[in-house]
Amino acid sequence: MIKINNLSKIFRTDLIETHALRQINLQVNEGEFAALTGPSGSGKSTLLNVLGTLESFDQGDYLLDGRSVKGLSDRELSALRNEKIGFIFQGFNLIKDFSLFDNIELPLRYRGFSSTERKRRVEQALETVGLAARRDYHPSQLSGGQQQRVAIARAIAGEPRILLADEPTGNLDSLMARQVMELLEKINQQGCTILMVTHDPDQARRANRHIQIVDGQLNDSSMYEPLAAGA
Amino acid sequence: MSVFLIIKSLLRRKVVTALLLLQLAVTLGLVVNSLLLASAAKELVDQPTGLSLEQILTVWVKPTSKALRLEPALSEVINRQLAAVRQISGVEAAVYANQIPLRQGGSNWNIFEVDRQDETNVDSVPYYNSSEQIFQVLDVRLITGRLLTELDRGALNIVLTEKLAKQLFAEQNPVGKVTNNGTVVGVVSDFYSQRYASHPFYGQIVLGPLHRAEQGYQLIVRVAQGQSEAVRKQLTDVIRNAEPQMDIGTVLRMDENRDDVFRSEIGLATLLAVLSGLMLLVAMISAYSHAHFHALQMQKEVGIKRALGASKARVLLDVLSESWLTTAIGAGFGILVCYGLNISLAKVISIPAVPVWLPLLTLVLLLLCVTLATWYPARIATRISPATATKTL
Amino acid sequence: METLIHNLKLSWHSIQRAPLPYALTLLILSLGLGTFFSNATLYYWMNRDPIPEKSQTLFMARLNSLPGDCTDCFEPPRVISYMDVQKMSGSGITSAEAAMFSSNAYAKTLENQQATPSQVELRVTQRDFFKLFNVPFLQGETWPDNKARMEVVISKNTAIKFFSRTDVVGQDMLLDDKLYKVIGVLDDWSMLPRLYDVNGRRSAEPAEDIYIPLETAYDLAIQSNTQNSFTDVDWDGNMATYPQMARTNFANMLQFWVQLDSPEKVQQYQQFLKNLVQDEKAAGRHPRPEGNKLDNILDIQKAMRATNDQLDAFALVASLFLLVCVVNASHLSLNRYMANQYEFSLRRALGASRWQLQSQIMADVLLSSVLAFAAALVFAQLGLWTINSLLPGTRALASWDWQMLGVMALFVVLVSYLVTLYPALKTSFSPLNQQLKQ
Repeated sequence: MIKINNLSKIFRTDLIETHALRQINLQVNEGEFAALTGPSGSGKSTLLNVLGTLESFDQGDYLLDGRSVKGLSDRELSALRNEKIGFIFQGFNLIKDFSLFDNIELPLRYRGFSSTERKRRVEQALETVGLAARRDYHPSQLSGGQQQRVAIARAIAGEPRILLADEPTGNLDSLMARQVMELLEKINQQGCTILMVTHDPDQARRANRHIQIVDGQLNDSSMYEPLAAGA
Repeated sequence: MSVFLIIKSLLRRKVVTALLLLQLAVTLGLVVNSLLLASAAKELVDQPTGLSLEQILTVWVKPTSKALRLEPALSEVINRQLAAVRQISGVEAAVYANQIPLRQGGSNWNIFEVDRQDETNVDSVPYYNSSEQIFQVLDVRLITGRLLTELDRGALNIVLTEKLAKQLFAEQNPVGKVTNNGTVVGVVSDFYSQRYASHPFYGQIVLGPLHRAEQGYQLIVRVAQGQSEAVRKQLTDVIRNAEPQMDIGTVLRMDENRDDVFRSEIGLATLLAVLSGLMLLVAMISAYSHAHFHALQMQKEVGIKRALGASKARVLLDVLSESWLTTAIGAGFGILVCYGLNISLAKVISIPAVPVWLPLLTLVLLLLCVTLATWYPARIATRISPATATKTL
Repeated sequence: METLIHNLKLSWHSIQRAPLPYALTLLILSLGLGTFFSNATLYYWMNRDPIPEKSQTLFMARLNSLPGDCTDCFEPPRVISYMDVQKMSGSGITSAEAAMFSSNAYAKTLENQQATPSQVELRVTQRDFFKLFNVPFLQGETWPDNKARMEVVISKNTAIKFFSRTDVVGQDMLLDDKLYKVIGVLDDWSMLPRLYDVNGRRSAEPAEDIYIPLETAYDLAIQSNTQNSFTDVDWDGNMATYPQMARTNFANMLQFWVQLDSPEKVQQYQQFLKNLVQDEKAAGRHPRPEGNKLDNILDIQKAMRATNDQLDAFALVASLFLLVCVVNASHLSLNRYMANQYEFSLRRALGASRWQLQSQIMADVLLSSVLAFAAALVFAQLGLWTINSLLPGTRALASWDWQMLGVMALFVVLVSYLVTLYPALKTSFSPLNQQLKQ
């Protein structure tokens, strides 16, 4: 699903160069639920951004679903993000002027689905996260856990190949965090690949693969495990 | 973004949206009415006058000595002046007259057919007391009868403009009819006579001495094509040399007299045009600042959209279409404002009714301005990185 | 005081942080205010009461006495005849009355007879003119009665122009080759708008240079340069018969002003005019319906249809433009405050009271007001200059006095406050936690 080879990213200012990612190699297979951990400043957010094509990289190669993202135009990258990747952010990142329905529908609009198709998918996604009854609410009317579930619904409505989650429970209390984790596990069981950044060791343990990043370099605990033959 | 979603998000920001719409509505209303006034003023100025404006020079003069303002000295002075003026090369004809066409105010008489005063009386018709060459100077055509000659001087014979003759005698032959001001001997083509007389194209011409010149008198000069500037340069000196005790006004070409008559209308139209320009500028600044603020304030939102798969082109279109939509809605209310303003203005000045196409044209103009102003901030918005979405602000 | 300075400093810093949005807000606001001020200036001079101490007592009287059997002519003419004035004078009800018209002549002094005469504006009038309109004398006084006499009253500027001094009572002047004696010199005086003669929309013109007696003007065949209306006049143009003709025919050119000191006097004079018309009708004159007009000086522009319609129209438009600019500026300022909202919330979280924030906002308003006032005055001057060059007859109306400046300054503060009010309230009173969370 994800394959990166010798990927590096360097931040440059006038005075200094910072190597955020150093020659990283990583492969994430279809159906995996991988957790990415690391201390702050280790480059885990940068890696997630690069994987999500939110940021560019300097060296190496990145194949998403078998297609190299290098040299793609903005339009192609946007379409790629829209179709293949679902994002879940720590701060939920719902658009506060939109109702839940509109929030979830937004990426589907970018895809160019018909309005009946959009409606079907939004309703299905809301059903999955258990908020079908609140489709016309606005984000500010919901609790944090509920908002994150909406964000998840938005991420899965487009049936992406991979879900990228950036500390999805970071802003939630433990009860809500558990609900969100259960939801993610359910989605993973339905066949969606998930890569989740977290700093919570418990959560990392719940994933079926644990990748650590330190100082821009990977320490993949599953590197030595057999790659769950084609799974 | 869909119209529906933009409207939804506008509704969430009620006050800002209301301010924006109000401003756009008033702008449209004002621009429409200003354009209307400007076009009405232009029409007024450009209407046919029946005169060859470029080839007629006029100058007001008044003897500074009382004695010269009375006969017989007056006629003698005038003849001297005219003889001198006619010597200028490029001058085809020159006459004196108590007044000139296309001038605000003047000398008017009422006129009626002697036997039918009650049915035919027309109040306030400008009369021109002049000499034989007046027809050549004004270049009016003879419609029927004959022109006046020096033989008519002092006789009670009169020439009317066509419209006046029609008004007085309808389909009857006017020649030979007797009016309170003399016997009609001819009818000439219409010319713009006096704006606030009974009708601007009514005029009556007699030949005779001025008797006195307490208000001064006019010298009217017909010049050859293209000679008006050359003649204008010499005219004042020639008149002064002919008689030094003379107050001499500015030499005006006939189109300058016309512009003077319509100066209020031209002035107001220009003023409103300037104001319309300012309004559009203000609308542009507003659109610019709004979009700019949007780009800054909505960084996160734009970032989220980018992360969810909106391309740069899409973001650009989003920002622009929000501008277009607000402009269009504002302009929708603006149509109401423009009719309301039109009615209010019509109470103080004369202004034509709003034609349907004008608000639409103005809307297009407004959209163009807004697009132009929104372009740069919209471009900035497209540069927002999708990674913004992952940053906690 | 120290707080104020501190607050002003903070305001200044916040401007410096985002100078462009602030400059645009200010530009829009001062454009609107400037346009509005330039129009308001003209409007003020056009419509103010030039003689507040007695405007309630001054009236222009007209009779509908023209010949011709016209049953639907109710409106009297703008100018009336010598006969009308004779009949309306001497009622005993008025405390001052004068008929008048405007004219012009060429003037020179006796000492300087060779000079080219210069044109002077004349007011042909009667003895009470100066009393009616509170015209101050520097030297000498008005004529002792309304009889014809070769005596003139001249303005201070005229005295200086022709004699280079003001104590010229007793000096001689040549007006259109006739010799007159100066019996009075006026002090600086003008009436703006010039309500005693608005005919021909000339209310923005300056007061005249020289005042000559009405009877003298009739004797010498001096005519009005504004409006002469001859109705049913049979005259051969022989100047020797002019004085007789003009006094006994409907050779209308006069305006007649009276001072009526109380509402009762006004009533009495109206009754007097009514009786007059009845007597006239009984004598077989005054064929038209009764249409006596006694217009107060403050209504005279409307009554004589001498209002400047272009200015009125522009006033409407300029007010709307101000509205647009204010709305726009408050929109921009809302954006600006929202951008600063985080800082505001932070300061409140750090313990600033709402009152302290409000006083910060007031400092903002103060600073904006000063800047906007200065810019608005510049735009207003530009506006006045443009209007003066485009609309005829507005040039005399373009000056400011301290009182007007004060009112304008106050207006700017008010508008700046309005523009800032909603955004300020929104930022300082919305729930604290919501803002910090964002």
